[in-house]
Amino acid sequence: MSADKKKILVVDDEEHIHLLYKEELEEEGYEVRSVLSGEEALKLFDSYAPDLVILDINMPGMDGIEVLRQMKQKRPATPVILSSAYPEYKQDLASWASDDYIVKSFNLDELKRSIKKHIEKNNA
Amino acid sequence: MPELRRDPIIGRWVIIAKERGRRPTDFIIAEEPVRGGFCPLCEGNEHTTPHEVLAYGRSHFAPDTPGWSLRVVPNKFPALVIEGDLDKEGEGIYDKMNGIGAHEVIIETPRHDDVLHQMPVAQIKLILMSYRDRMLDLMRDMRFRYIIVFKNFKRAAGASLEHSHSQLIALPIVPYLIQEEINSCLRYFDYKERCVFCDIIRQELATGSRIVCENSNFITICPFAPRSPFEMWLLPKRHLSTYTDLDDSMLDSLAQIFSETMKRLNAAIPNVPYNYMLHTSPLKQLNIEHYHWHIEIMPKTTMVAGFEWGTGFYINTTPPEEAAKFLREVRLLV
Repeated sequence: MSADKKKILVVDDEEHIHLLYKEELEEEGYEVRSVLSGEEALKLFDSYAPDLVILDINMPGMDGIEVLRQMKQKRPATPVILSSAYPEYKQDLASWASDDYIVKSFNLDELKRSIKKHIEKNNA
Repeated sequence: MPELRRDPIIGRWVIIAKERGRRPTDFIIAEEPVRGGFCPLCEGNEHTTPHEVLAYGRSHFAPDTPGWSLRVVPNKFPALVIEGDLDKEGEGIYDKMNGIGAHEVIIETPRHDDVLHQMPVAQIKLILMSYRDRMLDLMRDMRFRYIIVFKNFKRAAGASLEHSHSQLIALPIVPYLIQEEINSCLRYFDYKERCVFCDIIRQELATGSRIVCENSNFITICPFAPRSPFEMWLLPKRHLSTYTDLDDSMLDSLAQIFSETMKRLNAAIPNVPYNYMLHTSPLKQLNIEHYHWHIEIMPKTTMVAGFEWGTGFYINTTPPEEAAKFLREVRLLV
C-alpha cells in the first residue's frame, strides 16, 4: 500500500456498494476501507484518519446525518460526501454540513468528480 | 353533536368535534431530544453555507464571517435552480417548464439554542424585515410569480435542524392553494365590493370571542373554521394586500404582536411543533383591493390522514372559541 495514496472511508449498510466503490475507486488510485454502520465509521474515523468519507444516509442504527454531524464536530476539514438513493434528503438542511450530495448510481462519474474536487481542494 | 363549519374564504368545510373538546393540557408534547454535533447554521460555520445574500448586524463589511445577527443564504442543494430560462412548453394536454426558482434559508439567529418565542422583539423584527427585504429583491426577477415564506418548527413539523430558521421560495407560478384563495376573495369582492378578510376582522372585533391578541395595527384570531386545534391567523387591521408595503413602524408593531402570539402558543402547549406560512399577493398583482396578506400559524397537534386527503375536510377537536379563550388567558412569563 503506497503511503501517498489518499484514503477514502465508505460508510454504507449494503455490501454490494462496498464492492462497487472499492473496485472503481482503487482503480482511480485511492485506498478504500468500508464499514457497514455509523457506529463503526465513527470508531474508524479517528484511527484511520481518512482523507474523504463517502457516507450513506439511510442506515440502521445511527443514520448518516448523525454520523455527519459527529464527524464534522471532530474534524471539520475532512470532506464528507453524502451518497443516498433518495434525492429528497437533499431538502433536509442537516445535509448542509456535508461537502456534497450525490444521488447513488451505478455510474460513478459524478461521485469520482466530486471526490477529486474535494481532495484537491484540501491539498491546495 | 359535532358541528360542520364552512370557511368563508375558500369554502373549505371542517368538522368541529365539540364533544371531544380537547383542552391544551390534552396535547402533551414531549421535548424532542437535541441531536447535537456540528451545525452548519451556527455562527463560526459560515464557510459551510452558500454565500449569503443578506445579513444584518455586522459592524464590518466582510460577508460570510461571524458578527451577524441574521443571515439569508441560498439553499445549498436547491430543488429549483436560479439560473436559466423557463422554456414553457406543452406536451399534449400537459404543461411543463424548467425548474427555475429561488430557495433561500433565513438563519434567524447566530445562536443554536435560540427559539422564536423566547427571542427579543427586536430580533423578531429583523426576521420579519428580512422576509420583506428578500421579497423586494427577488420581485425584480421577471420570471417569478409568487414568493412564499414559511417556517417549520421541530422535526414533527418538518424541520431537520434545531437551529432557528425559516425558508423562502420564489416560484415561476402562483401555487394553486394561493390562487384558489385569491379567486375566492375576488368572487367575494365582486359580489360585495369589500375585502373578505376586512369583513372577517370587523366581525371578529365586534364579537371578540375568537381574538387571541391585538394591537393598534394587527390582530391574531383563531379562525371560524380552523383546520387544526389552535390554528391562528395574524392579519393587519388595515387593508393591505402586499407584505412588502410594510414600513419600519409597521414592522415594529408586527414584531410585537408576532412575538406575543408565539409566546401565547408556547405557553398554552409547551414545545408544540408548528408551521407558519406568509400569504401575500402574487408578484403581478400588487396592491389589490380584494386580497389581504396574513400569516397562518398551524400547530402540529393532529395527523392529516386518508379522510383529510380524500375530502379536503378536517376534523378539529378544539373549537376556536375555546382555543382563543385559552390563548388569551394563558399566563405569560415575563
